[in-house]
Amino acid sequence: MPVTLSRTLTRTLSALLLCIAMALLALPMRDWFEPANTAMLFLLLVFLVALKLGRTPAVATAFASVALFDVLFVPPTFSLTVADAQYLVVFAVMLAVGLITSHLTAQLAERKEAAQASEREMRQLYELARDLGAVLTVDQAVDRLATFLSERRLAAAVLIDAGLGGAERFATYGRLELSPRDQERAMAAYQQGAVLASEAHWFIPFRGATRVRGVLVAVYVDTARPLLDAVASLAGIAVERLHYAEVAQRSELEVAAEKLRTTILASLSHDLRTPLTSLIGLADSLHADLAVQKVGAGETAGIIRDQAQAMHRMVTNLLDMARLQSGRVQLDRQWQPIDEVVGSSLRLLADLLAGRPVTVDLPGDLPLVLIDAVLIERVLCNLLENAVKHSIPGAGIRLSAHAAGETLQIAVCNEGGGFPLDDPTGLFDPFVRGEGTLAPGTGIGLAVCRTIVLAHGGHITAENHPGGACVRFGLPLGTPPEMEGEPA
Amino acid sequence: MNAPRVVIVEDDLQIRRFVRDAVAKAGCTAIEAGTGQQGLAAIAAEETQLLILDLGLPDMNGVDLIRELRHWSALPILILSARTTERDKVEALDAGADDYLTKPFGLGELLARMRVLLRRHGSDATASPLFQFADIEVDLAHHSVRRGDTEIKLTQLEFRLLATFVSNAGKVMTQRTLMNEVWGPGHVGQEHYLRIYVRRLRQKIEQNPIQPRHLLTEIGVGYRFQP
Repeated sequence: MPVTLSRTLTRTLSALLLCIAMALLALPMRDWFEPANTAMLFLLLVFLVALKLGRTPAVATAFASVALFDVLFVPPTFSLTVADAQYLVVFAVMLAVGLITSHLTAQLAERKEAAQASEREMRQLYELARDLGAVLTVDQAVDRLATFLSERRLAAAVLIDAGLGGAERFATYGRLELSPRDQERAMAAYQQGAVLASEAHWFIPFRGATRVRGVLVAVYVDTARPLLDAVASLAGIAVERLHYAEVAQRSELEVAAEKLRTTILASLSHDLRTPLTSLIGLADSLHADLAVQKVGAGETAGIIRDQAQAMHRMVTNLLDMARLQSGRVQLDRQWQPIDEVVGSSLRLLADLLAGRPVTVDLPGDLPLVLIDAVLIERVLCNLLENAVKHSIPGAGIRLSAHAAGETLQIAVCNEGGGFPLDDPTGLFDPFVRGEGTLAPGTGIGLAVCRTIVLAHGGHITAENHPGGACVRFGLPLGTPPEMEGEPA
Repeated sequence: MNAPRVVIVEDDLQIRRFVRDAVAKAGCTAIEAGTGQQGLAAIAAEETQLLILDLGLPDMNGVDLIRELRHWSALPILILSARTTERDKVEALDAGADDYLTKPFGLGELLARMRVLLRRHGSDATASPLFQFADIEVDLAHHSVRRGDTEIKLTQLEFRLLATFVSNAGKVMTQRTLMNEVWGPGHVGQEHYLRIYVRRLRQKIEQNPIQPRHLLTEIGVGYRFQP
């Protein structure tokens, strides 16, 4: 490079001038000084030049010094004849001192340069880390990374695992074009969690505290690896931080939405039930008053009450469906004997079941099941209600339960024409009703049943059997807790 | 004796009207209140025999009202509450309420509950060691139970459970109350004990243990003994 060349030339010329100056300085003292001492002065000069001006000027100084020393101070003076071969040693030492010193100095300078460069790099990495700590989106983070790398002539692309919940769906960012093969290799690096290299690219997976988050792909530069490693680890931390920030924000939103839903359902429930409660109560009151007087209107009041009650059951099912389908069903599961739930359902529906021969077939020693009793009672009530609604007055109803392997099987059957469909499975979908059904209803009772049973990890089926229809559901049995014995 | 005084705390005018008519039919004097504060004032004003309380009040939580009332009164409390709020009912019962009715309810149910609570309140003093229901006789003093002439053998815990039911006849008892009375405190999480013992007791006492007539289950809340 011309700049360096001319600098070396200038320095060499200055070195030669220094030699001449030294010679002129030492010349008047020639008669008092031993030649060896003068040689020392020249040696010092070589050393200083090597230290300050570098290798070429030092070598030049060594040559010039020996020449001047030989000509001016070694007898016979003003001639280049080497009378005494011993001065060759002086020359060799000077040359050696010059070379060694300049070499050491150069090395020192290089090291200093390197130290400064790495300090600069550290500072920039620190700045990168700081900036990544402040970014709010993955796009911003990738922009910042790409800027950092392109400042170092390292074109790069970043592939980030965008599949929340582990699906390895990559979103690609950055300015580097990736062939399908490169994509595959990036995927391999991601899956193995190990750095891969091709002729053209580095594939460096980066991880956060929990798992691999993505892959940094950069053009292959042999020496860039440590820097890329550092950048990759910063990218891992940043992407993970953004991921968790997003998760936190989303769950906060979900909690708020859930709260809102619960509030709306609660007030809807209150507003719908309150008028029904007074309607049922007032009609019942009226019915009681008029029935004593044996007036026809008393019967009307009774019908109003019954219709309001039927309406209330529909509203309950609709609200339950809304509650069960919106968000997560929270089960209050406890170890329960199923006979309690059966007994309580039969008692709740005592009015509806009056005049129906009800057969209950429950072994006395059924194991406990882990259920939300309130919800399973709802299932039984819905099934019993359906059994009544879809059969003629006086037709029998049968409720049975037995343990079969790991499941408690419960069936509610009626005597009648059975389901009007060939495949009754569809009846469990909301708002599906049997064709030609005359009985009132919204077609939501069975859907509620299915939602509740599925939430318990069970299953539910509907089928026709000779002489009627059956709905069966199974609940997983599990292992009931131990019970301390008591002396009889 | 004067007609018993019944305070009704319910914010919905129509429901209140229906309850007021029922109270009048039962031969009692009805005092209506639309808010919790009015209700408390009405109870404090004059001797009252029964409080009928809606849990969802505009001005205060019904459970808080019960707690406050229980500081100075042992007056029977009947709660009116919507279905799907079993937790609230249990909380209210544990706070000191005596019984509950799930909305919507009919006249017959309301009258029956009122009658039980008014009778219990009036007859506490005449406790006898002998208690009879259906064809069963329970001798609380001698720890024996008989059906007609045959003795029914009960374990100690079974007897203690039956005795607790008998002495709280007609009243809803939460699982927690029953566990505390029979097993003593410190049995949280072992409510299945209670269910298993109730099942055994039913098998020994009830004619049809699956459709019991005396030891009734209030799903999600507790049990009720009906003589």
